Amino acid sequence: MSEIGDSPIVAANGFISRDLFNVKDKKTNFYMIGSMGLASSIGLGIALKKPRKKIFIFDGDGNILMNLGSLATIGKISPNNLIHLVFDNSIHESTGGQPTGSDVISIEKIARACNYKHVFKVSTKNGIVKILDKIKKHSGLTLILIKIEKGNSIGNRISKTPKNIKDGFIKNL
Amino acid sequence: MTDNFQDQMFDFLFRKGIENFVGVPDSTLKQFISHGLKSKKIIITTREEEAIGISAGMILAKSPTLVFMQNAGFANSLSTITSLIQLYKFPLIFLIGWRGFKKNDAPEHKKIGQIQPKLLKDIGLQTRIINKNNWKKFSSWAINKMKNGDSCALVIPREFVD
Repeated sequence: MSEIGDSPIVAANGFISRDLFNVKDKKTNFYMIGSMGLASSIGLGIALKKPRKKIFIFDGDGNILMNLGSLATIGKISPNNLIHLVFDNSIHESTGGQPTGSDVISIEKIARACNYKHVFKVSTKNGIVKILDKIKKHSGLTLILIKIEKGNSIGNRISKTPKNIKDGFIKNL
Repeated sequence: MTDNFQDQMFDFLFRKGIENFVGVPDSTLKQFISHGLKSKKIIITTREEEAIGISAGMILAKSPTLVFMQNAGFANSLSTITSLIQLYKFPLIFLIGWRGFKKNDAPEHKKIGQIQPKLLKDIGLQTRIINKNNWKKFSSWAINKMKNGDSCALVIPREFVD
């Protein structure tokens, strides 16, 4: 997380938001607790209006498959400052581990076809750190597909109210 | 034509501070959208929920935004409106076309056209119906709502069938 520092993060609903909240809460995290699929769209909106800041999206395979059209829209506009991380465990872990199908289809190929400039696939912590270091130096729409295993613990629910999450984010962006 | 006021309405909303117009095309709103495209203030998305998500992001960056859609798209968006826009209290203006308003409209619009006023009421999204005589008054109403931190909807009925 130190590679991301204070950069704004939009986190998808379910365990992704909960894990981020428990690991590194900060005012510039937007925890999307409902509206599954839309973290990437929210991130695009921020990125377009804050072109000098790097905006991170913490997405999941289930989330991105629910709103694949967002990859087309993001790629069509191709903001230079958007870093789209997809945590891919091939299941809907938050709802009990049902399969998403991302073990069969290729999210990285879809991203490339949708005009993402840099696409990476990693499966180790070291690998993630290396890529985050590397992209510090270059700009361009980026997707990092992070293959992960199913977790074995569930993070606490987010204790802030939605309005506080939003207002804190706006104030500190 | 009944929709001649749409160019003026776009310019008015822009002058009053709306910086972004995001949505899915609608023939009822085509003049509004075509006019906005000329000035490059419009982003066309693949689905309405996506447009609402992008708008939420823009509002997080303090940039006032309007979303536009057909009423079929409004039906698509119900969960996003309730679990994102209303839950977090995003001050977003919705501009929604209204088909199925005339009795002789195409069959796919009938059901949703009939229940749209009730749906808007049930989810508690304050709404004004726009026409060529009242568009300015209700556009100002919507801007004031937004400035007070509330979301609201402007609905343009499709008065013609082609």
